[in-house]
Amino acid sequence: MAKAWRSAFAIVVHALLIIGALITVLPFLWMVLSSFKTTTEIFRYPPALLPDRWIFRHYLDLFRTTLFPRWYGNSLWVATIATLAVLFFSSLAGFGFGKYDFWGREVLFNILIASMIVPFGVVLIPLFVMVSRLGMIDKYATLIVPFMAPAFGIFMMKQFMASIPSELLDSARIDGAQEFGIYWRIVLPLLRPALGALTVYTFLGSWNSFLWPLVIMRSMARYTLPVGLATLIGISSGGKIEYGMLLAGSTLVSLPVVTLFLLMQRQFIAGLTLGSVKE
Amino acid sequence: MTAVTVQRPSWWQRNQRRLAPYFFIAPFYILFIVFFLGPGVFALYLSLHSWNGIGPLKFVGLSNFKELLTDTVFLKALRNTAFYSGTSLFVVTPISLLLAVALNARLVRFKDTLRTIYFTPIVTSSVAISIVFLVLYNQRSGLLNTVLGYLGIDPINWLGSRQWSKLAVLGLVTWRWAGFNAIYFLAGLQTIPQTLYEAAMVDGANRWQMFWEITIPTLRPVLLFVAVIVLIGSAQIFEEPYMLTNGGPVDSSLSIANYLYRVGLSQYLRFGYASAIGFVMFALIFFFSWLQMRSFGVFQED
Repeated sequence: MAKAWRSAFAIVVHALLIIGALITVLPFLWMVLSSFKTTTEIFRYPPALLPDRWIFRHYLDLFRTTLFPRWYGNSLWVATIATLAVLFFSSLAGFGFGKYDFWGREVLFNILIASMIVPFGVVLIPLFVMVSRLGMIDKYATLIVPFMAPAFGIFMMKQFMASIPSELLDSARIDGAQEFGIYWRIVLPLLRPALGALTVYTFLGSWNSFLWPLVIMRSMARYTLPVGLATLIGISSGGKIEYGMLLAGSTLVSLPVVTLFLLMQRQFIAGLTLGSVKE
Repeated sequence: MTAVTVQRPSWWQRNQRRLAPYFFIAPFYILFIVFFLGPGVFALYLSLHSWNGIGPLKFVGLSNFKELLTDTVFLKALRNTAFYSGTSLFVVTPISLLLAVALNARLVRFKDTLRTIYFTPIVTSSVAISIVFLVLYNQRSGLLNTVLGYLGIDPINWLGSRQWSKLAVLGLVTWRWAGFNAIYFLAGLQTIPQTLYEAAMVDGANRWQMFWEITIPTLRPVLLFVAVIVLIGSAQIFEEPYMLTNGGPVDSSLSIANYLYRVGLSQYLRFGYASAIGFVMFALIFFFSWLQMRSFGVFQED
């Protein structure tokens, strides 16, 4: 009896998990498949999963009639530079907090943690005023510099420092190594798995970032992908919204980040949950 | 007589170990002061003024805050945001917890594949995925109404009616975030020793009792952590309503962040008033995360 109850329970749990997984996958599937349908077919009732006839026109239109390739390049450039900067400043500060005993460490670290609850909305207006006074509107640097040393990244790196033996650093000191040299030549190579997680986290964040680039970037040729994609809706709304083209754009926007995630998910998830759970 | 010069270590060489960490952590504090703390103080100053960015600032005292109390659109945005935060905490988070418990159960197979699937929505751009949801939510031919139609439910105007627009946003939010939060619970669950459950089983406890007596109490720190990040995130919700409904119809899905953007940047350029909105948002986030920590007993000495 208990056994029958147990297997019935197992079936129900599996069924629910599979239904949930289907709901999770369906929008992705819909996005990709619909990008090969005509816009009329996308809104035909009843909806069908597969296109009647596969068309590639939306992808061609995206490249020929919009600045999409430009935006793609812009996003790639911004996300890459942002990621490199974040990796450097986060690991350096994480090393500082994790491997040194210094006056004020506790207080400074608490300030860092507390800074995470300040909502971006509070500073949005004054930051915008400041950036326009400095003539930094419409500049890629404005998208990168304020977020170069994120508290979360530093926290994550500090957590990883525990796995690096301090004796290793001390013996390097005896050999006459400089402190920055210890970071560069010993700590950084040992941090590789952690840096992998932070790379995915930062790249995703920068690639998908919307509000700040929406506020800062003014000329269409300098838009990042999400801002460009969002304006494509606005531009076409005078007539008919070209959903086929928008879905083709959504597919291409999602492609690199989903791939990056699938390749590095183990490291990424391990990095994210580090520190939320005390072992 | 030849002098043997022993090279004395330079001042930097003698002191670098003491000073290096300050250099290493300095970039964070410099950027924090320049881009967040400074602007934060400036926001406080701005919130007491009336300013459109061009003319001189006019000191108006607390009148921006007084205006907020009677601004019906703001009060609506406040209620909508309360809805988003409330449902994120009390609907989405429990779903995440159940998902994590299921993914952690010994009897469940294909755990890694399922975990990957459930996590994927959060890595995609909310703008890109909102476009897909615009299609799925379509009243006449959208997939959602088609499926509901098979169940005998009449087509719902998800995005164009005041009654349903918030639920449409919630649907997208749940789809994106449920799996992400589950990852934290899953990591927490994996630290609970199996022997605890085995001992309970010997004592004749059932699954339900084990969940409430073992799982929930051990997960407390993770529950708090997730509750705080969910609150902070949902209270600032911007992209989902902006993309799906642009806050409409008639502001029925407008969030505080959407309103701040509208008042400060996209329509009115009322910098002082928008800063006041930002401060109210900050105060609410601060108060409710403090309340969460208090109710979880973080400040109790034991």
